[in-house]
Amino acid sequence: MTPRPARSYFEDVELHDVVETPALTVTEAHVQIYQGLTRAPDADPAAVPDLLPLCLTTGLGWRTSRPPLVVLAFMGLEWQLLRPLRVGDTIHSRSRIVTRRRMREGGVIVEEREVFDQRGEVVQRGRFTFLVGKRPKEVAA
Amino acid sequence: MTDLRRCFDDIALGEEYESPGRTVTEADIVIFAGLSGDYNVLHTDAELMKQSIFGERIAHGLLGLAIQAGLFTRATQAYATLAFVGLRWKFKGPIKIGDTIRLRAKVVAREETSKPDRGLVTVQRTILNQRDEVVQEGETDLLVERRR
Repeated sequence: MTPRPARSYFEDVELHDVVETPALTVTEAHVQIYQGLTRAPDADPAAVPDLLPLCLTTGLGWRTSRPPLVVLAFMGLEWQLLRPLRVGDTIHSRSRIVTRRRMREGGVIVEEREVFDQRGEVVQRGRFTFLVGKRPKEVAA
Repeated sequence: MTDLRRCFDDIALGEEYESPGRTVTEADIVIFAGLSGDYNVLHTDAELMKQSIFGERIAHGLLGLAIQAGLFTRATQAYATLAFVGLRWKFKGPIKIGDTIRLRAKVVAREETSKPDRGLVTVQRTILNQRDEVVQEGETDLLVERRR
């Protein structure tokens, strides 16, 4: 087996790279923990809080064949919420690199991300902008 | 029971709210890492972060975003929100363990939609820390029920 780098640096990312994550069933436990953390109660206990799928998709991004990006800073986000989710729905996400700009400290990467439900319908989508580290000289590719 | 939620018709352009403060703890960050599965070293490796520009672990950006959603509910009477439809957000500075953040919000747009039962309200939101530094800011678009 070829050893894989544990982290993806700016140099490892190509424009239009697509990454698809495994799926995750959103449970009542996720909702309860999220609400305890944020204190944004919902009258409907089976409703999934609006921002929870967005939060879960960041962790799903760690479970792909591409090692996690060396994110130095999360700069910004544009997000559309298209359909509500219910407890028991299963989400996964797909992201594509749409901008890749080299900077002195590393590079700016814009990722377009879509979150799907178990029926394959897009429930949320948007763009993440990250500052990603460049490969240090001592780390070989 | 009377519905105390505020309808589109009750919300005025230019309204401003300020939330109470909330101290972000190490436990918040650990729970958020466990919930989201985002174990980036920025949030989880205290030793590595000593050598970073931040000098210590910082909260997930999305944790700040999630906490402000809760602070909004403590800043004003609830809106009769039908749907949260959009978000434009910038992460301007780190939230560190022990920082106390609060939300300042303002209604910056208020538009009727093609459907007579709802209107679109845009709220500008700023998260400030205990030194009044802006750590996050952006806008959220909410579809709010109209009074029948």
